[in-house]
This record gives sequence, C-alpha cells and structure tokens, in this order.
Amino acid sequence: MDRVNSPAGRVFVHIVLVIFAIYSLAPFFWTTLQSFKTFKDAFSRVPVFIFQPTWKNYEEVWIRSLPEAGSSFGYFILMAAVIITCLMLFARYIPVNSTWIYIGGLIGYGLLLWAIPQLVYMQKYYKYFVNTIIVTVFTILTSISIGCLAGYALARYAGMAAVVILIAALAFRALPRLAFVLPYFWIGSLTNLLDTHILVIIALVAVNQPFTIWMLRSFFMEVPKDLEESAMVDGANRLTSFLHVIVPVAWPGIISTALFTLLLAYNEFLLVRVLTQTNWTLPVAISRYTGAEDPAQLTLAAAASVSATIPIIVVILFFQKHLVKGLSAGAVKG
Amino acid sequence: MKRNTFFAFASPSILVMLLLMVVPLLMALWLAMQYMTFRNITAPEFVGLRNYIEILDDPLFWRSFNFTALYIAIVVPSWVVIGFIIALFLDQVSGLVRGVYLSIFLLPFIIVPVIGTIMFKQLWEPSGLLTWIYQELTGTRFRVNETSVKTLIIIFGIWYVTPFTIVVYFAGLQTLPAEMIEAASIDGASRLQKIRHIVIPYVSSLTVFILLFSIMDSYRVFDSVFVLSELNPQFKADTVMTYTFLTAMQFQRLGKSNAMAILTVIGIMVVLVPFLYMMYKEQIAER
Repeated sequence: MDRVNSPAGRVFVHIVLVIFAIYSLAPFFWTTLQSFKTFKDAFSRVPVFIFQPTWKNYEEVWIRSLPEAGSSFGYFILMAAVIITCLMLFARYIPVNSTWIYIGGLIGYGLLLWAIPQLVYMQKYYKYFVNTIIVTVFTILTSISIGCLAGYALARYAGMAAVVILIAALAFRALPRLAFVLPYFWIGSLTNLLDTHILVIIALVAVNQPFTIWMLRSFFMEVPKDLEESAMVDGANRLTSFLHVIVPVAWPGIISTALFTLLLAYNEFLLVRVLTQTNWTLPVAISRYTGAEDPAQLTLAAAASVSATIPIIVVILFFQKHLVKGLSAGAVKG
Repeated sequence: MKRNTFFAFASPSILVMLLLMVVPLLMALWLAMQYMTFRNITAPEFVGLRNYIEILDDPLFWRSFNFTALYIAIVVPSWVVIGFIIALFLDQVSGLVRGVYLSIFLLPFIIVPVIGTIMFKQLWEPSGLLTWIYQELTGTRFRVNETSVKTLIIIFGIWYVTPFTIVVYFAGLQTLPAEMIEAASIDGASRLQKIRHIVIPYVSSLTVFILLFSIMDSYRVFDSVFVLSELNPQFKADTVMTYTFLTAMQFQRLGKSNAMAILTVIGIMVVLVPFLYMMYKEQIAER
C-alpha cells in the first residue's frame, strides 16, 4: 500500500500501533512487575507501581540454599558460561576449525548444567529446566535429521507418492494431539515407559514430523536443481551431493525449521502433561505449581513464568528474521 | 529423482509417521471400543460402540461442545479482522521501527501458551491490574464465575493467536504489486476504496487459508482453557479437548476419552477434507 503522508495520519498510525503494542505487552509487563514485589506489595488491592524491588521470588524458585562459599562458586559458574559463550560467538576468528569449537562449547554447557547442582543446592525447578533442555535438544536433532532427508526428497520427486505423503502429513498436522497421545499413554503404561524422556521425545518427534517436512520441503524447493546435478556429474552420488552441496546452501532454512521445532518442543503442554508424572518440563511444572489455590504462590508463579520466558525472548531478539520467514513461508505459498 | 531414491531418502520419515501416527490412530479406534480404566489397563473389556452412545447422552460433553462452538464463532472472525487491520497499519511503517513493532506483536504467539495464560491470569487475580481497572470503571466487584471465566478464555484466545494472522497478512501485503495501487490512485480512489476493492480481494486466498487453519486450531484449543478453567473448579468452562483430557486423566475412563478423541477427529475432518482437496489440486498443478 502507498504511505499515509499527512502528519496527522502518521501520528494516527503510530497511536494505533502503540496501543496494540501495549495490549500485546500488558501481561508481560504486569507479571514482571509482580515477580519483583514482596507479598505485601503484590497483594495490595490498588496496584502498586513504585516499590522496593526484591530478588527473593527468583531465589525461592531456583535456589534452595548456597553452601558456605556459595557466592564464589556462583561467580565461577557465571564466568565459565560467559567464556564459553564468547568462544562460540567469536569462533570464526579463532584459527581452529570452528565446528570443533561449537562441539566443545556445547559439551562445556552440558558439563556446567551437570556441575551446578553439585555446587549450589538448586530447587526442583532446576531439574525441570534440565529435563526441558534434554527433551528439546534430542527432539530437534532427531526430527531435523529425519526431516531433512524427507523434505529434500519431497522437493525433488515429482511422482504421486510425494503428493500422497504431503497431503497425509497435512491431515496429521490438523488432527488433535489427544487422539495420538492417549494411545501413547496406553502403550507407555503397558511398557513402563511412562515418565521417561525417551517416550516424550518419540512422541514429540512424531507429532512434529508433518510440520517439519512441509517446512523443510519449502526451503529445499528454493535451492536450484543445477547445484546437485553438477556435483553428480563430477561423480558424487545423491547422498554425498546432498550432504556436501545442498545442506550448506539450504542451511538458513534448516535453522529456521530447527527454531520452530525448538519452540514447539518447548511449548508442548498436553503431551508432556499426559506422558509424565514427575519428569515434567518447565511449562508443565509451572502450571502444576500454580494451579494450587495457595495465594502465596502468586509471586512465585510470576517469577517462574518470567524465568521460563527469558530464553524465548532471547530467541526472538536474535532470530526475528528467521521467525517471520518461517511463519510466512508456509502461509504465503499455501 | 528416481522413485527408489525418493523412497530411500524419505523412508525414515515415512516410517516415523506410519509407526508413530497411523498406528496410534488405529489403536485409538480400538481403544474407543473398550471399557478401560487405570485399574484394568492390561485387561480391557470389549463394549463395542457403547462408549459413543454414552458420550452422546452425556450433558457435560454437549456443554463443552457448545462452548467450543461459541469459542470458534467469536475467536476466528476476531483473528481475521484484527490481524488484517493491524497488518495494514504495520505496512505503513518501515525499517527499524517496523522490526521493533513486529517483535513486540509476535511475543504473545511465540511465548509458551501455558505461561502466557498464567501471565494473563495474573492480570485478573484479586490484586491484579485489570481487576482493579474493571472495578474502578464499573464500580462492581470482579467475580470469577462461569461467564467471566469463559470471557477470559475467549479474550486470551484472541490475544495470543492474532500475531499469527498479522504476520501472514503482513507478508501477503509485501507482495502486493505497487502498480495496482498506483493505477487506483490515478483514478482517484480513496484509501478505503483501495483497501476494499484491491487489497481485500488480493489477500482473499490468504483469508481462506487463515480461516481453515484457525477453525481447526481453535477446535483443538487446550492449554489456555485448561489453565483458566482451573480458576474456579465449581464452574468449569470446558471445551471438548479439556473435557476429553479430564475424562481420561481424572475420571480415568480411557476408552470413553478415546471415543471422544475419535469424534473430534471426525468433526475436524469436516473442515479438513475441503482444505486437503484444495492443497491436493494445488500440488497436482505444481507438477
């Protein structure tokens, strides 16, 4: 559309957008405020906007108690995390193959996650946080590696089989989760797999697979066919040309898809709620603890919700372009 | 690509979908014909179609069905209308400002739905911000009852999915050819006329896509209803999905809840089949 040019018109546009932004942000704003309040401020009938902020709620959610020299351990962990992150951010300036640095960095993060509860007595939320990471990482790895192969094949093969698979996948995507989850629950209780990570990961990979292959297919369609054809003329077979030529070109699209898989796995509630009894992920744990009628939970719930949202906000800040691209990729072509 | 290569590449994914989606669906069909609770989970009792008959006689099921229908009827048009209007406004700004607005607008959609619901609920606690505003404006106390919980569920539904329609419409508006608008400007069309006669027809295929998708999505809404209807357990405002969940996990009637899930699948199929047919024709045309 052409632009509104009159000054009054411009002001009107921004007023509408700002009002909508306030509407979008209101719950975040209020919850963040509540999470820094003491009980007295949080329960005041007339909302308090100016108050002495406190970290107490966050401490109560995450940390049970610090050992004698707790704070120095805390600094050590923080420093280690910062160093690993910096190494990974500047990997390409370090004269070592950067893949190794990434792998080393991820192992370092894993070690930190393992080391923290040895040094500081964490609340049970920490366990749920680690559960969430395990489930999310393995779901992404499995569904992207299977999905890439299928997405590429679906983008290149013109036969009827591809159409049938695509349409079937679409149908599965639209069906309610409960129709799949209840049989999983039944199998899980027969095989004693209930409450294990493996069942949750399998279920998540399965229910996200239709979405993954559709999205990856749309990204592989954008890669020109000549690329792998010229590689194959040079004597590479399909698989090597796919791995060495196509994947590097389609990498941004694969990242976009991985990002959405991350969000789907992190956001999943129903499936995890049914298939686990104590090994919850973060969202399920938070909803379980706040469902109680205990009013003292109010500020703790606020602190827990804010903590669980921070990773997502970081993701939006860094990957906004990927997100918009992914959201509109399926839609505009569909 | 040859047929054999195709199947070699796609087989892991096809296997996953066959084993982990088709098989569970068939199992659900079988489970729906059993009388099964947590106690006789290894030795279910075959009851044929009795579960379905019981559901159709269940007033609670129909209550949840009615609420689901009401939810769809209010929420889906709101998504389309609000999303389109905001996308039009967003199209008026550019550069960094647009990026900032877009990030903010996306937030409700990207955040974990359950956590979003808990945050939304905080606004309506007795000490919440909106409770206070409501009481100042109307002079009456904000009460948690069936109507108010249902209203909150609907408001939340609108709040958290509108970003999706905004982004879809916004991306669509970016592809709108400038010549069409210029031609209309030369003919002296006003802004509203341009929107009415050029933009709305241009995005109509997106609107159909959004409508079909959002009807199916709002039919399966679970997370937010589950959290908000716990506000006051005496006046449950359940949708079909949460009622199915409660039947399975609280009343422990696994067979009956599977039958309910099957009924939901059939209900979604009504919308899904035309959509699938549309996509099928498009896929055939692409080849």
